[in-house]
Amino acid sequence: MIGGIEVIDFHGHAGLWDGVGMVDDVDTMVAAMDAVGVDRSCVFGIFHLDGRRGNDRTAAIITARPERFIGFAYVSPLMPDSMLDELTRAVDRLGFRALKLYAPHTPYKISDREWDPIYDFADSRGLAVLHHTDERCSPAHLAEAARRFPNARFVAAHSGNTPPARKLAIAAARELPNYYLETASTYRTPGVTEELVAGAGAERVVFGSDTPLMDPRSQIGKIITADISDAAKRLILGENARRLLGL
Amino acid sequence: MSDEGLRFRPRVAVVDANVALGHWHDQPSPAADAPALLAALDRHGIERAVVHHVYAQTKSTVEGNELLFEALAGHEGRLIPQCVVSPTDASLAQLRELHGRGLLRSVRLHDLTRQGVPFADWVYGDALTWLQEQGIALCVPLPEVDVAQLATTLRGFPDLRVVLAGVHYQHVLLVRPLMRLLPQLHLELSRYETLGDVEALCAEFGAERLLYGSWYPRYELGPILYYLHHTTLTEAELAAVCAGNAARLLAGEGAA
Repeated sequence: MIGGIEVIDFHGHAGLWDGVGMVDDVDTMVAAMDAVGVDRSCVFGIFHLDGRRGNDRTAAIITARPERFIGFAYVSPLMPDSMLDELTRAVDRLGFRALKLYAPHTPYKISDREWDPIYDFADSRGLAVLHHTDERCSPAHLAEAARRFPNARFVAAHSGNTPPARKLAIAAARELPNYYLETASTYRTPGVTEELVAGAGAERVVFGSDTPLMDPRSQIGKIITADISDAAKRLILGENARRLLGL
Repeated sequence: MSDEGLRFRPRVAVVDANVALGHWHDQPSPAADAPALLAALDRHGIERAVVHHVYAQTKSTVEGNELLFEALAGHEGRLIPQCVVSPTDASLAQLRELHGRGLLRSVRLHDLTRQGVPFADWVYGDALTWLQEQGIALCVPLPEVDVAQLATTLRGFPDLRVVLAGVHYQHVLLVRPLMRLLPQLHLELSRYETLGDVEALCAEFGAERLLYGSWYPRYELGPILYYLHHTTLTEAELAAVCAGNAARLLAGEGAA
């Protein structure tokens, strides 16, 4: 808890990425969460093309600490024959509450039609879709998807990451009621959090850390040390995520 | 509703080990001059900072170092100058002259990636030898140097104290081998966000080899400082990482 509200980290990984030191050790993750008052972290496994293996690893983390983790379902449009069955399994049987998608693991733009069955699944259920964005995976393409599927809630992971893409993400959030901005990034340029809040409104920004790739303690430090109001911090740290996830 | 935890001020004295002053040649900076930088430090409760000039890092070490001392005039109590070195006779001569006047506190390596120069002893040997002899620490931004050349060259200067800045999670596989290979190496933590690794590095190598730095204004002042205040480091370790090590290594204060 921070400021009297439940803190939810909207961006976390399940799985191993040894080359950059990423290990999803639950005890280490929870210790870092506890140190700064993160109550729950959203996690997803994006490293396996079939979706199933990563989703099962996500489920294992939730089984270990169900009160501390929330699962997001991952599938790839490169597996069109199985992706909807896997999505259904992840949401209906494993209890995952949103979707995580990752265009860098595909040859497709975020707005390409190959994603549409996935977006339609989210749209039909009113689910949130966290999509990686950067200069190649354009927030503007995510906006095209958000226009076509107005009942799904699209969240631009990293808010575009770098300044040019960030401007596109902010513009999309201003235009579209179902478009949100997430804060995880090693591009900790001065004033980023303030820019997101001023541009899109605090009710459109959600805290994410990229744990365990990055430590949530430095990532949440961006929000706590930002020159924004306490009310804005509460929205970003948890209230918006609770609304997006239907908690 | 409670506001507990929504605001942060450091509970120990802080010396930021990695701050840049001045506009970039292609982009305005929020730390264009000393008053602007001091206002930013004040907002985050940071007392002092080790400061180099961006012009020295990117274009001309000699002119940039001159700009640094001009900009810091009257603010030396809080802003600690860090001169930049390149492998020219003029650069080393400037450093010798500044050292003779008692103005040289630490030295930063210029950006090698912009020049295509190898970090080899046949290029930088004169400067490294002199710095080692004088007991002056060298700051090296890791993204601006070839790490294999760094390891090879610094093995030849075992008494030269080095602060490696800007280590990113993408460098994580290099960190421990480098720290073991080079006992004179210290880590500045502005970009180091690998989960739980500050505590792990502190346990393995000691708090005296870690330094808080922000690399402001490229990155924000607050997040890493906030992070360090929420680790399991003891208060003595936190004080060393947040201020004591930078004061000793880069400000020339206390024991070498």
